[in-house]
This record gives sequence, structure tokens and C-alpha cells, in this order.
Amino acid sequence: MSADPQISKVSTIPVGPLHVALEEPMYFRIDVDGENVTGVDINAGHVHRGVEYLTMKRTMTQNVVLTERICSLCSNSHPETFVMAAENIAGITIPERAAFLRVIAAEVKRVASHLFNVAILAHLTGYEMLFMHVMQIREIAQDLKETVFGNRMDLAAMCIGGVRYNLDAEMTAYMLGALDKLEPEVQAIIKTYKTNSSILRRTRGVGVIAKDEAISVGAVGPVARAAGIDYDVRVVAPYAAYNKLTVPVPTLKDGDVWSRAMIRLYEVANSIQMLRDCLKLLPGGAINLGERPDIPAGRAVAKCEAPRGELIYYLKTNGEEIPERVKWRVPSFMNWDALHFMFKGSKIADIAIIVNSIDPCVSCTER
Amino acid sequence: MNFLSLFARNLRRGPYTEAFPFGPAKTPEHLRARITFDPKQCEGCRLCEKVCPAGAIRFTRTPGGMTFDCWHATCVFCGTCEFYCPTKAVKQSNDWHLAHAQGEKYAQVEHGLIPNQICVECGAKALDTAPAVSHIKPPLSAEEVTELRARCPKCRNKYLRSRKTS
Repeated sequence: MSADPQISKVSTIPVGPLHVALEEPMYFRIDVDGENVTGVDINAGHVHRGVEYLTMKRTMTQNVVLTERICSLCSNSHPETFVMAAENIAGITIPERAAFLRVIAAEVKRVASHLFNVAILAHLTGYEMLFMHVMQIREIAQDLKETVFGNRMDLAAMCIGGVRYNLDAEMTAYMLGALDKLEPEVQAIIKTYKTNSSILRRTRGVGVIAKDEAISVGAVGPVARAAGIDYDVRVVAPYAAYNKLTVPVPTLKDGDVWSRAMIRLYEVANSIQMLRDCLKLLPGGAINLGERPDIPAGRAVAKCEAPRGELIYYLKTNGEEIPERVKWRVPSFMNWDALHFMFKGSKIADIAIIVNSIDPCVSCTER
Repeated sequence: MNFLSLFARNLRRGPYTEAFPFGPAKTPEHLRARITFDPKQCEGCRLCEKVCPAGAIRFTRTPGGMTFDCWHATCVFCGTCEFYCPTKAVKQSNDWHLAHAQGEKYAQVEHGLIPNQICVECGAKALDTAPAVSHIKPPLSAEEVTELRARCPKCRNKYLRSRKTS
């Protein structure tokens, strides 16, 4: 075909706002030259629900539940960070058992969240059988949550001053049994993702972000660790009981889609080990302070390592039951910008895989 | 992972999905589902109403006493009410069968009445709530709790004061 001067060489196509990778609304305006992506414009705000405003209309106790419902996959990290901020203001130290129980809740959620993302990767590469298999293995973690916490997604584990659930001998035994079932399956999945040629062909060298680029956009979580940045809130600023546990931080150098998936899978394996350690070290005693503690006037920042990366909460109170301001910075917000680098030089067909590889949580980001 | 062996394993095991509604669905004991209310145990402190993030719980003063209503369609199953209830009058059962016909949607309510009673000491009309006794030392005996319960709030305070001094 001869070049027509009337037709621009670069054309713009819309991707989204629905069905990019997950069924979450993200809208991309992508400039393409043939099959190659030359530029990207990310448009956000399709599911803005005004949750930050709602937190200023509800009491501290009610906000623990409200923040849990911002997002489903990191539904434990939000209330955990919120109560940590409240405890910082009130100067509360939670009982030791509660600290360990918080770690258990967080790590169970991390296992389920990472397996979900890795399963979707298989789905996007068109490998439906692997997708079904990983989702089936994830079901062990879902059953664990339902049996121990009472819900498949919203654990309702957190309260200001501790946790709301307790583990008895029967539940501990059940959890250990479930972890024993989960571990060999996860090891087999890791091996598959390492060796399967369908997965490798679609993910190696795709959506690459270099270490300095990742630092420049402030990438966090598995996206940063896959680009070689050794940063994990659980290690650099330990909260709950993480200072009493060994927290391995896997890093890879390539910064491609495959590395990010592998980081998630390694973290699943590490989380299983940490859960076992927690159950072994779990001290006795109270699980919370019993009362609804008064939160005095003050300001605090708290952060935790959500499955997607560093989650930061800012809380300002004025001594009343209703907080004056709650603000949070979610990991997906930082990782969105990394997409600009990842899309550079990629093909249209890889867009969905690259978007999925940052594990975007749009409901957190746009709240 | 050898997918042929996985295939054989899945073939042997059969479907992972549950046969519900044609068969039983596994329900864990601790599942957080439908709220239940026992008016006999309620202290009438209305803390559950205050902490409920969804505003599903409402207490209303009626000529007959005080009613408790929890709207299942509004409830988010967070369990905050049960957690803060001092006597566990509000509980979360593991009954998740909440599907209903459209016509019944306004009947999806857990309803309870804390009736009025006549105080045995002063004859005033007061709510027949469970007395708040968990913090009282030394602990009250079962007879003392029954005696305390039959009184109005004022006479309850009087009863406890006289118990302290005697």
C-alpha cells in the first residue's frame, strides 16, 4: 500500500473503559503505528464513588467497615492501615497476640490476591486450563477465609485496638491442613510459570520497565520488586508482628510481565511459610483492648504492604467520633504511571497482559 | 505441572462445584450471615444501632416497649453489632439463605420487642431489659439478677447501691 498523505501514520484507538484485563473500568487512549504502541493517555475516574467523603460522615468504628469495602482483593489492608493510623493518634499498643493475628489475616489475603492475578495472566494468554487450575487452587485459600473469618473476601478481622477474630486449636489445625494442601500446588504452579512455553512466549520481555524508570515513577510492590527495587514495607517499616518474623523479599531484574508474575508467586510461597511461622509463634493473651478506645485530636500517617504494594493512610481527627479527614494513597495509583514505560514499544495484543501485570485495583484508586 | 495427570486427577475427583440447590452446600460454622436478635438478653444500650456502618439496625420506642429491627437487605454482614454487643443478644448466624421473592422484600427484617414491665418496687412503667451486670463486683447471683431485672432503671441503681453498702 502506498503512503497516503491524507491519512496520518499514527492512529488513536480507545481501550476500555470496560474489560481491559479485569472487569474494571480503566480507559486508555492509545496511539498506534501499525501494531506498535507509540503513546498512551490514561483516563481515570469512571468508578469514583466518593468513599473518602463518606469516611468523614461516619464514626471511626463504622469507618473500619467502610474502608474494608473500598476494594475486595486488598480488603484487609485498608482497615488495617486505617486502624493503625487511629492507634498512632491514640498511642495505643495492641496486644501481641493481636499483632500476630493481623499478620495472619494480611498474609492469607495476599495469597488469595496474588493467585488471582497470576490466574488472570493465564486467562489473558489464552491458557484457560491453567487459569481454571490456579483459580481452583486459590479456592483453598478462599475456603480458609470462609471457615476461619466467615467470609470469602471481607475478613472483618480489624478493630481499633486489636483484632476481632480468634484462633482456637481446631481452627489452627484446619489452617495448617489447608496450608499443607496449598503449598505443593503452589510449588507446581511456580514450576509451570517458569517452564511453560505458552506463558514464557507471551510474557518474557513484554512490558519492560527498567529500575531507574520504576524509581522515577515511584513504582511500589511487586512491580518495583520485579524491576530490582528491594523495597517492602514489611521490612523497611515493620508493623504488626513483622519484626518478629522472617520476611523474605524476592526481587528480579528484568522488570517484564513474567518477572512480576514470578514475584507474586514467590510471595505466595513466602506468605505460606510466614503463616506457618505465625501459627507456631502465636502467643496467648488478649486479642483486643476490649473497649472502643477514644481517639483524641491529632494527625497520623500509617502504611502497610498491601498485596499490590505500599498503602498509605493519612488520618486527621478532632477529638470527635467522626474523623475530620481521611486520605489514602493506594499502590495502584503509583503503578499506573509505570504503564507509560511498559507500553513503550509494545504491541496492541499485549496491552491487556501489561495492564494486568501491574495488578490494577481501580476501585481502590478511584474510590 | 503435567496437565495429563491433572486431567486424570480432576476426572477421578469429579466436579469441584457444589450441587446447590440440588444438593447441600458446605457452610462453615463461623460463616457471617443472617443477624439474629434475642430480646431477652438485650440490655437496651443501643450500641449495635450506633456502630452499624450500614444503618441496618433501628430501635424504636413504641407504646408496647422498644422494638429492634435489622434489615437484612441493608446489612453488610460485617458483624460489628455482634462484636460490640455486651450480652451477645445480637448474633450473626451462619444462615445465608436470604434469597426471596420481590414481593417479600420489605419483610426481610429481624424483628424483636423489648416489652414494658411494671417495676416491682415503685410501680413505674419501664423496659424489661437485661440488667448490665458484667462489670459489677462481686458478681451477682442468678436470683439477684432476676430481682434486679424486675425493677426500673432508677430502682436498679438503688438496688445496686444498697447491695454495695450492705
